[in-house]
Amino acid sequence: MELFRHFAQWIGTTAFNEWLGENAWVIPISQSLHIVCLAVVFGSAIVISLHLLGIVRPGRSTSQTVTTLVPWMYRALFVLLVTGVVQTIAEPVRQLVTPEFIWKLVLVVGVLAMTIVFARSVRRNPAAWDSPASRPAAAKAYAVTSLLLWTTIVVLGRLIGYTWAFYA
Amino acid sequence: MNLHDFLKALEATPLAAAVRGATPGWDWLFPIVETVHVIALALVFSSIVMLDLRLVGMASRESSVSRLSRELLPITWTAFVVAAISGTILFISKATGYFGDIRFKMKFVLMFLAGVNMLVFHRGAYKHVEEWDVALPPPAAVRFAGAASLLLWTSIVFLGRYIGFYA
Repeated sequence: MELFRHFAQWIGTTAFNEWLGENAWVIPISQSLHIVCLAVVFGSAIVISLHLLGIVRPGRSTSQTVTTLVPWMYRALFVLLVTGVVQTIAEPVRQLVTPEFIWKLVLVVGVLAMTIVFARSVRRNPAAWDSPASRPAAAKAYAVTSLLLWTTIVVLGRLIGYTWAFYA
Repeated sequence: MNLHDFLKALEATPLAAAVRGATPGWDWLFPIVETVHVIALALVFSSIVMLDLRLVGMASRESSVSRLSRELLPITWTAFVVAAISGTILFISKATGYFGDIRFKMKFVLMFLAGVNMLVFHRGAYKHVEEWDVALPPPAAVRFAGAASLLLWTSIVFLGRYIGFYA
């Protein structure tokens, strides 16, 4: 944790950190984009999970849903990474010394890895995923796990704004 | 009782005080309600965007509009109810402050416009959806409704974040 604190203090001395401090309008825009993109990722994940669990009245096949939504999740995750880095450079101590932030990153990496493996499997054999009978047994486990992980990630992200003051 | 008195009375309720953090031991209520609001708005916004992108003909082109809306709209409305309830709870905690904020007013003007856009679409083009359900590109009126909705809801999310930042 001490290493993170030093790293955060060093970011606090960089020119970009100073520029973000002088241009206070950048961060609300970055945070708004961050919410828009988290909505795209979270909503896509929920729709895919509801398909796999058979909770929605499907308007298209599961494989179509996955091949449509997963590329949008990757695009949105890229914007989330960029805006997240900007916000971390603007307020390095707030983010880097807060355990919620570290947990959030770990869970994002985990659920992203799961999603990549899952989406590849759907692309390789779409027909098998379309019917509940032929779907791999892991489908429901993936649906529930990704739903729980993404929800936890959103909760942790929001909590950083409240708990960081205890750690800073 | 005028509007200002009414907003003051809302702020004076025990729930408002607890959400505001004015009640010892209840400091966690605001972050919890706010997190519920974020999760709900994420679902409202994303399900609307999925449908809007289909209406403008940019995504989900293999699904018909009517089938896709049957899949997505139950998610939109369920999440909207949760967002409205959690939003109301957040609002009463500082009713006079939020009500006086220009971003808060703009957000509700845009939500009203988004509602009008949706009504016009449902009473208009969607009445004979079977004629253009799978047509690509969709008719101009349909694409316009989708594009207007995308623009309005994105602005609504931005204004919501700005309210949290400045109000």
